[in-house]
Amino acid sequence: MGRGLFLDIVDPWINWDWLSPHLPLILSALQDHITLTAIAVVGGLVISLPLGVFARQFVAARNPVLTVSGILYTIPSLALFSFLVPYTGLSGLTAEIGLISYTVLILVRNVLVGLEAVPPDVLDAADGMGYRPLARLLTVELPLALPAIFAGVRIATVTTIGLVSITALIGIGGLGQLIYRGQIENFHTPLVVGVVLSIALAFVADLSLAGVQRLVVPWSRSA
Amino acid sequence: MAFLSKVAAWFADPANWTGSSGIPTRLVEHLQISGESVAIAGVIALPIGILLGHYGRFGALALNVSNVGRALPSFGILVIAFQIFGLGDLPVILALTALAIPPMVTNSYVAMREVDPDIKEAAKGMGYRELAQLLQVELPLAVPLVMAGIRTSAVQVVATATLAAIIAGGGLGRYIIDGYGQQIYTEVFAGAVLVALLALATEVSLAGLERALVPRGIRLLRAPTAHRATTVKSA
Amino acid sequence: MNWKLRSAYLAVSIALAVAIGACGSTSTPATAKGTITVGGFAFSEGSVLAELYGQALQRDGYTVNFKLNLGNREVVAPALKSGQIDMYVGYAATDLEFYNNGAGEATGDAVATTAKLNSHLSSLNLVALTPSNTVDQNAFAVTKATADKYSLSKLSDLSAVASQFVLGAGPECKTRPFCLPGLESTYGLHFKDFKTLDTDGPLTRAALKSGAIQIGLVFSSDADLNSLGLVVLQDDKHLEAADNVVPILRTAVATDDAKTVLNNVSAKLTTADLVQMNAQVELLHQDADAVTKVWLQQHGF
Repeated sequence: MGRGLFLDIVDPWINWDWLSPHLPLILSALQDHITLTAIAVVGGLVISLPLGVFARQFVAARNPVLTVSGILYTIPSLALFSFLVPYTGLSGLTAEIGLISYTVLILVRNVLVGLEAVPPDVLDAADGMGYRPLARLLTVELPLALPAIFAGVRIATVTTIGLVSITALIGIGGLGQLIYRGQIENFHTPLVVGVVLSIALAFVADLSLAGVQRLVVPWSRSA
Repeated sequence: MAFLSKVAAWFADPANWTGSSGIPTRLVEHLQISGESVAIAGVIALPIGILLGHYGRFGALALNVSNVGRALPSFGILVIAFQIFGLGDLPVILALTALAIPPMVTNSYVAMREVDPDIKEAAKGMGYRELAQLLQVELPLAVPLVMAGIRTSAVQVVATATLAAIIAGGGLGRYIIDGYGQQIYTEVFAGAVLVALLALATEVSLAGLERALVPRGIRLLRAPTAHRATTVKSA
Repeated sequence: MNWKLRSAYLAVSIALAVAIGACGSTSTPATAKGTITVGGFAFSEGSVLAELYGQALQRDGYTVNFKLNLGNREVVAPALKSGQIDMYVGYAATDLEFYNNGAGEATGDAVATTAKLNSHLSSLNLVALTPSNTVDQNAFAVTKATADKYSLSKLSDLSAVASQFVLGAGPECKTRPFCLPGLESTYGLHFKDFKTLDTDGPLTRAALKSGAIQIGLVFSSDADLNSLGLVVLQDDKHLEAADNVVPILRTAVATDDAKTVLNNVSAKLTTADLVQMNAQVELLHQDADAVTKVWLQQHGF
């Protein structure tokens, strides 16, 4: 049992009686969290695949893309979300613009590194066999880049699951709503539930993606 | 553009460089909580990772602890730390230390495992006792990857220390949170710029430290380092 | 198959099950009376008031979306102006001084204050309804030990010791007329420092307890002050004004029917009721929506 800081009323870390009547609330928060994460990762992939291919094609773009993405990555997400609020409001759109920015920064790097890891001999062989550039990209280079891309997707997913909670401070939040409510009302149970579920979700997502990776690219070394 | 000149004006304003909410004060606060967290985490994580890697034990644990670390939601951890420990630096440092430990354990474990077994054999053959072998042969070879782990942790801690302001902590995050609470976006932007600069400075200076620590012979041995794998962002 | 693959499949199945469950979302169908989005401030009374007025509209047949814990007025007011939310429950004097940029028009007369508020709101296509008799003003609290040590019972007693005291509140306190600037001009108090904490939340209470601050902003309708050993200093020079609870809406949703319902709530709500509901949420950790539902049932909504 956890004693509240300074109240005589004991506030246990988990009040089990609170859980079952609030299951719809908890599941709704979890559902929002999953949706926000999924949109961010898929959206990030959709943007970073062409961007990574572009940076691969134009060698001059490579270092600027990597450097700029590395710098932008260090911008604290709370600052980015706060900054977007006057333009896109306290909305899921604001959250997604911020979240997708970070997934793109992660994924473009991994797409690029993955494409660069394709052995030049394989590229030569493909050219020799008569593959046109687009076909070569889609059927040779990208599949061979999949291990690195998958590693990026896993990192992007786990990162996003953590960042979604921060959006509670701009009125969105998923499981972060439970955490924020726990703080505002000095109430432990929703706080603990939010944190535990967030950790569990990250684990399940990471393991699932590892499983899918094993099925799709069985030749890759497990990350 | 007008906005950027307002931000420049914010930086130029001497009032923002003095007092308890001035840039130097906040910078020092930020460095202090970040530095203490990384140091404490290092004291705990490095011996564990190095020894586990040296003996080759509990590899799965050492590798998976970083999965656990990545899964911790920084916002939630900080709020829980406040609920347990109240205000001040202690809850912030504990939360940041928890986030800093996993990358250091994993990287130092992998660093020790990757030391060429032939070299270890040769050392044993030359008569090195175990502790001497660890300190004089294996560790120098492991330094680059160990330093990569420290660098990863340090940059992540510097970025996440921004959130300390949510539990009334100090540091550069105060500009972001207080600025948003008063809808003064020049302050939010300035805070973001300062944190990004500090994170980059941390990365660069630790890279420099690594270069200084890696013996010249080993630096020549290694191929140019590939881009470090992307790290998890927790703030 | 090996255990690693097995656990990977198990994880995928769990993930799929959760995702499928997530897809089966139930959204309430919009009713004939339309949808209203109610925003709430980021303190527990904010949730109570948002739920109270919002559920009254729900029981009258509106579809209500709740967006709670959005932040302070600096964050919530722009959301109302831009139409992201349709309504929030404000406090007459503080809202007046917010929308008139601190012009100092608020008085102790709730009706006059609200009328002045509406004169500023109309150009924004917003309207404030009839103010309730329920009042929640800013209040400044010290620990009992501090009050005893310095013989403090009212705010003017602070003039001797203010320079040794640190004031703690949310970030907006630095610019709000009923907060720091008001203490300086009405009482002549100049504090040693200002510490940004939260708006009437656990950070402020913890800071008072730990001595990080000596005086903190709380609300006059807080229910937990006694149990925390906190003493509110009396506002003897009447810095605070008519902070009567008043819903503020976009004119687009301010139909006669909606206004009737909301004014009905305001008419029946009392400060004692609000404090009671705050006690249930702050001390007993009951849900804001549950305690307001009980109140609405008891008062014929």
